[in-house]
Amino acid sequence: MTEPTQTGSQPLVTIDKLARSFAGVPAVKDVSFTVGAGEIHALCGHNGAGKSTVVKMLSGQLAPDSGRILLAGEPVGLRSRQAAQHLGVALVDQELSVVPALTVLENMSLGDIDAPLVVRRRAAVARCREVLDDMGLERLRPDQLVSTLSMGERQLVEIAKALSQRARVVILDEPTATLSDVESRRVFAAVRRVAARGCAVVFVSHRLSEVLELCDTVTVLRDGRAVVTTPAAGLSVEQLIVHMLGEAPHRLAATRRPDPDLTHALRVEHLHVPGRLEDFALTARAGRIYALAGQLGSGASDVLRALAGLHPRATGSVELRDRAVPFRNPVGAARSGIAFVSNDRKGEGLFLDKSVAWNLVATRLDRLGAGGVVGAGRERRTARSLAALATLPPDRLAAPVLALSGGNQQKVFVGRSLDRDDVHALLLDEPTRGVDIGGRAAIHRLLRSAADAGLVVIFASTELEELLELGDVILTMRDGRVVNTYEGGADGAVLMRDMTERKEAA
Amino acid sequence: MIRRFGLRQERLVPAAALLLVVVAFAGTPLTTGHPMTTFDVYNALQGFAQIGLLALAIGLTMMAGEFDLSVVGTYAVGGMIAVQAGQSSAVLGLLAAVAAGAAIGAVQGGLIAWLRIPSVPVTLAAYIALLGLAYVISGGLSVTFKNQHATLWVDQTVAGIFSPRSLVTLGAFVLAAVVLGGTRLGPELRAIGGDRRASRVAGVRVDRALVLLFTTSGTLAALGGALLNFSFASANPDPGLRPLLIATVAALLGGVSLAGGRGTAAGLLAGALAVALLAQIVAVAYLPDYSTQLFYAALLAVIVAIDSPGLRRTLERVRARTTTRAA
Amino acid sequence: MTTDLRTGPPVAPARVPRRRPGSLAVALAVLVVALVPVAVTTDRFLTLDNARAILASAALVGITAMGATLVMIAGSAVSLASAQTATVVAMVFLATQDRGLVVATLLGLLGGIAVTALQGVAVGYWEANPIVLTIAAGFALGGGAIWLSGGTPVNATTDGYELFNSTPLGLPLAVYVLLVLAAVAQAILRRTAAGRQMYLIGENRAAARAAGLPVGRVLVLAWAFFGLCLAITGVFLASFNTSATTNLGGTLTLDAIAAVLVGGTAITGGKGSALRTLGGAVLISVIADILLIRGYSTGVQILVKGVLVLAVVVLVHVRAARGSR
Repeated sequence: MTEPTQTGSQPLVTIDKLARSFAGVPAVKDVSFTVGAGEIHALCGHNGAGKSTVVKMLSGQLAPDSGRILLAGEPVGLRSRQAAQHLGVALVDQELSVVPALTVLENMSLGDIDAPLVVRRRAAVARCREVLDDMGLERLRPDQLVSTLSMGERQLVEIAKALSQRARVVILDEPTATLSDVESRRVFAAVRRVAARGCAVVFVSHRLSEVLELCDTVTVLRDGRAVVTTPAAGLSVEQLIVHMLGEAPHRLAATRRPDPDLTHALRVEHLHVPGRLEDFALTARAGRIYALAGQLGSGASDVLRALAGLHPRATGSVELRDRAVPFRNPVGAARSGIAFVSNDRKGEGLFLDKSVAWNLVATRLDRLGAGGVVGAGRERRTARSLAALATLPPDRLAAPVLALSGGNQQKVFVGRSLDRDDVHALLLDEPTRGVDIGGRAAIHRLLRSAADAGLVVIFASTELEELLELGDVILTMRDGRVVNTYEGGADGAVLMRDMTERKEAA
Repeated sequence: MIRRFGLRQERLVPAAALLLVVVAFAGTPLTTGHPMTTFDVYNALQGFAQIGLLALAIGLTMMAGEFDLSVVGTYAVGGMIAVQAGQSSAVLGLLAAVAAGAAIGAVQGGLIAWLRIPSVPVTLAAYIALLGLAYVISGGLSVTFKNQHATLWVDQTVAGIFSPRSLVTLGAFVLAAVVLGGTRLGPELRAIGGDRRASRVAGVRVDRALVLLFTTSGTLAALGGALLNFSFASANPDPGLRPLLIATVAALLGGVSLAGGRGTAAGLLAGALAVALLAQIVAVAYLPDYSTQLFYAALLAVIVAIDSPGLRRTLERVRARTTTRAA
Repeated sequence: MTTDLRTGPPVAPARVPRRRPGSLAVALAVLVVALVPVAVTTDRFLTLDNARAILASAALVGITAMGATLVMIAGSAVSLASAQTATVVAMVFLATQDRGLVVATLLGLLGGIAVTALQGVAVGYWEANPIVLTIAAGFALGGGAIWLSGGTPVNATTDGYELFNSTPLGLPLAVYVLLVLAAVAQAILRRTAAGRQMYLIGENRAAARAAGLPVGRVLVLAWAFFGLCLAITGVFLASFNTSATTNLGGTLTLDAIAAVLVGGTAITGGKGSALRTLGGAVLISVIADILLIRGYSTGVQILVKGVLVLAVVVLVHVRAARGSR
């Protein structure tokens, strides 16, 4: 771990009392910290603490409501991601900006306004080689197609690209979330080199032990405020968790459910998705709510997607109500009684331009009339009753779903799988992402009543409160495997540790 | 899905296609009994000149993930304008045609880029309008090109097998290769086709590139039509959809991917040459006309199948099922 | 926590935009209003004969366009094989006339449906690219037509097909068939589960798939209906022309697409209706008719048609893009 190099004058990045609200709801209230040249500064915080908003402001995607950002002592107004790039602020996040169809070399100068029109190939190859070697990527060739690289290598090329385009500040947002240990180590090595070059590095991650190993300083955010900025040396994961969650870790009372029906169970054995999920097994009983607690890359989401038929390479055996589920294609899974609510309601869930009513009945069209005909009256009645069930305002049935709030959109998404006698298992990935408190409570009620009505309910989430409140059985997952299973009472800090600590080296 | 031989695949397809066709072409004397003459090669290259620029135009748009259906319309209108304006001065006719082509392309590019409208409906509508325009300019009939000097000039033999027309076409490919390979426009074009979202994030000026792209395709199509009509000494207002379809086959044979992001000027050249040679083989060997059509159909079916994501998923599913059974 | 720009921090409910008539409806209203004075001042326009002529010239393109509408709504954009399909059906129909009108018609219809439904299988189950697939199909059918006919026109041995040339009440039979097909297509789209699923799949295929909707089956249905429409067009073409050459289909492919686009169907899918396509076909026919009566050449008619398609396309897609941003 290097000591942050003090230049004696201004730190390279100064965040001064940033604040930002969305429609009156504050996401960031008062965040200040500095990052010096050569310093690797971690930004930690639980969901909703404001990390992603701070990152967006620093990378130019959002303008702060108040507060300033200073680069090398000069206040800057970052109007867009491109403008930030011109000023030397590079962002490496899950939305990669490397194009797979191009070679490593071509990606390096893609979009660089300082690149000349005529390509000087020899000079460009030499510079690319230099940057790659500098980052320890001797194995990569400049004329290699990025599509032949693994996700980890693509991430590294993205970082190399930032360096090549003369970044002074590199922000990394969850760079190792979907990477293996080996690949993560290479990213760390690359980050250290980047810092050694004099860049300021902001490192956002939920993998706390990695954070402590790699970073010089840690700033913890909680509820939109920076609660502490401290050197990483001597800090432990437990102390970090305490900072992130508050004084005392959560301890919610166990809500025991009466012993539910065994015959209507979902039995999963040896579920395996190459590269993402290893040997997952679960017997989920109707009437109970099962929670898969795992961060991005833990495999929690992949369990649900595999069961819903969206992973054609999945292997294993899945039975619902003692009948085998053809889980390699979504039509088969749906016909067996599995309903899936994905974590991307806008891209893979709702039909945004269509009305609320259309969305609500979208998956039960063949039951709204005989012989494939949809009865208009029955459709109206069904839509209205579903809207009531999902506590949606009844006068919005004809409005396009796009116009609804995030919470109501999610209610529509969940609501369309309710009250169907052909649905026996309800799988939800991040059921309350982007939903306000009121909406979250409503959706939790919906899920509880669905379970009470005899459905198997399994959801994946990273929200501690949601996991503890809703989950009768909580399975913590990390790196494609189940870490622990908790029935009844569990501890927020324990869950957090399971989800974030790196596997001990074998 | 990681394409292991990714870079080579876009070179492999056109290389294989061209090699096969060249071998078949060289082998035609065996079936016909007549020896190969330079005239046969000249004819083949004339055929290349006929569709080469169209293939290049449409190939470039496909590399960017778009599809310019209007190139045939620009082909017709450009050719018509060249004939009308070039009766006394062929150069004037050429310039007028090229200017018109550029303008037509630029307008479409603007609509597609700045209004974010998909390229297929815009270029389709433009094609219909251009067809009408060609009819209007010509009064509904074929227009005769009286500039015999120009007609003879464009088709004179150069080095035995070339003509100014085929050399210009070849030159366009060379220029395209230089621009695509030697400037940053090449990677930017393929980036726009390969992953438009990432390109925007990376800072590529997508809108400007699209306008430039369609302007170029319009210019190339108009030039092709102009040269062709000089050669035929007449301008036909309605060449039909056929040239578009042949040009698309040539582009696909040239290694361009349906989804965009792949393709080289050299590949497109190979594809266009392959199609031209094939046409010449059919003519020389007196093969029935339907054989080319059926051959193209089979070729395209294979290409479509390879590029279908659903087919890949089905194969993965089958493989997963068999491994489970074996386990 | 990932920087997911789409589902960011909670937002307050957005204000519901009042249902204003879309810019497309306004533009079409303007067009119709502008047309009315022109139409009224055009000689012989407001006559029954002229009305019949307008409907008759829209009939065949309209029939094909009905099927093309379902395919476009379901997200498959366009087919470039329409003319060739109709031609082959016409050839089969004429060549088998000696087996009786019913058998010949059935063979023609089944052939058209089968050949098109097969393309639907590739598009529905394998996500094949429809444009290139139909170019391939066009080549296959075109080549097949030449091979079958030997390059000479295909004639019938009997004239049972004349039934299809009858004109009850002065209108060609094809017009009635068009109206029936339009009603059927509209019913499929609006009243059946499959039709509704076509809209959903066209709007967002990934979401439809994740929801477990039978994407493959629905698309095959849409394409099969398209094949039926193409076959019916082929049968009428054969009956009218009494002999089938390889370019019998003429400009059917693009004319049908133009009619669908002018009707306001978005090429990206998820929006449109059979009645709107009918309106589009009729509108094109009306404008061509006015221009014809007023003495404008074919070129002008085509040019105006192209400009009309372009204008509608721009309006439809710009509105769609604005809505989803």
